[in-house]
Amino acid sequence: MATSEYQVSGVERDPGSFRDRDSRVLVGSDAVYRLLSERGAEDWNRLASSRLFEAFIADGTLVSTEEASNGIADPEASRALGQPVRAVLRHERVPFVSYPYEWTFGMLREAALLQLDLLLAALEEDFSLKDATPYNVQWRGSKPVFIDIGSFEPLREGEPWAGYRQFCMLFLYPLMLQAYRGIAFQPIARGSIDGIAPTDAARILRGRDRFRRGVLSHVHLHARMERRYGERDGAEVKRDLRRANFKAELIKTNVTRLRRLVARLNWRAGDTAWTGYREANTYTDADTDRKAAFVRAAVAERRPALVWDMGCNDGAYAKAAVESGAGYVVAFDLDHATVEVLYRALREAGNTQILPLVLDLADPSPGLGWRGMERRPIEGRGRPDLALALALIHHLSITANVPLAEILDWLRSLDRAVVLEFPTREDPMVQRLLSGKGQGSNSDYELETFERLLGERFSIRRREPLPSGTRILYHLHPA
Amino acid sequence: MQLLAYLDPGSGSMLLQVLLGGVAGVAVAIKMFGKRVWRLLAFWRRGRDESLQDAPGPPVTEGKRSSPSAKPQKEPI
Repeated sequence: MATSEYQVSGVERDPGSFRDRDSRVLVGSDAVYRLLSERGAEDWNRLASSRLFEAFIADGTLVSTEEASNGIADPEASRALGQPVRAVLRHERVPFVSYPYEWTFGMLREAALLQLDLLLAALEEDFSLKDATPYNVQWRGSKPVFIDIGSFEPLREGEPWAGYRQFCMLFLYPLMLQAYRGIAFQPIARGSIDGIAPTDAARILRGRDRFRRGVLSHVHLHARMERRYGERDGAEVKRDLRRANFKAELIKTNVTRLRRLVARLNWRAGDTAWTGYREANTYTDADTDRKAAFVRAAVAERRPALVWDMGCNDGAYAKAAVESGAGYVVAFDLDHATVEVLYRALREAGNTQILPLVLDLADPSPGLGWRGMERRPIEGRGRPDLALALALIHHLSITANVPLAEILDWLRSLDRAVVLEFPTREDPMVQRLLSGKGQGSNSDYELETFERLLGERFSIRRREPLPSGTRILYHLHPA
Repeated sequence: MQLLAYLDPGSGSMLLQVLLGGVAGVAVAIKMFGKRVWRLLAFWRRGRDESLQDAPGPPVTEGKRSSPSAKPQKEPI
């Protein structure tokens, strides 16, 4: 088949898809395309006729996939694969791309279990998964979906699970750090795209941690084996293992145990300053009701496809937005425990329209990996049609010390409608944030200044002071 | 045809999978490591025994090791 028969139009290469040479992803406005090499196409054909594929497509575990048999446009795009294209697959687009360093502990664990369940099911039908990375998992709200169809390959008898080390580095060790030591895994995951090496994990999980479930074997013995045998030629090891009669049964045993271990890892999202924030703080019920009504009205006006709830806390307004017709809400907050509580609630409810993420707007996810493009910054993954900034601006302005004008410039740069709440300088919460600072600090934080800056950037569609008297809501459109 | 995996599985990590298999992996382990397998398993068992002894007792204190605070402190520069 000639390469030119497979062309995809109006698409761009996904800069994060290049590691697997048999499968390359292109992103279009309505769908995602996957170009497959000869070997990739062979694997795909086998997978497509398996029971496993049918079952996991039916229950939504795998991203929806069909063969784009007529192929499509742009020879440039076809060149992305670097070898003849033998098949093109068409996938649904997930509503919003997110990365493991933006997930909560519960989300990472859920993705880990999904990865292991897929592998166990694959082994039953003589397939394996060629890698084990959380970047192969995305979300429809609180439900994980496995997106890398190219990851399935026929099982090669006598070979161990190639993804085991990667699973440890990107799933197991971060989960253990959080569960056993209470160390936030997100900054570490964000700092290293390949995860935590066994030797590093062994240095962190030491002393009494050695006796925690799984640490001795998956961390310390792993590090020791790596030090001792890491330099051995991989092909030679595979050959020796085959001769020693290594069987897929052994992989099944190991993965089943690993699954049990992961399922038992737990993190108690303890109380932080932000969990129970609503109850503990000065919000009157009347304020809360007015805010929800305000959000509902703003959403109903345009029915935005994508809403960002920035500083979402317990997600009350994200839920209000969905109820009023928003297509999908990305709800983020900087506090891990708060987002974990939200995730658990959404999961309990089977919610597929609200994606909870851990994200600090004062330090948002940057571009990472090869050329800083393998993982994209948050704004490069789809801008919101409506941004909610409720009870947020005083934290950015006073706690993070970002000048009001800069915050508003950034909001304006989204070029979309915004619902914003401004607590005045007299507000008890603002007073509390200011109390630790020197007198006269954050002098730009004044209603008059704020409204002047606002007027220079936005047109104010609606303005409503809340009953408490120290907070004002604005519905803004870019001027 | 030599099928190349794009991901390096790591030689140590591949070999570890034999040891993790417990009873299911014994035959393979003996073929792979011979007598060394007992030494590797001893590492593991030693840890387990310690954990059994350790579990009901008081927390392990740093005092067991040579305490760094006992060393003469360097003068701050």
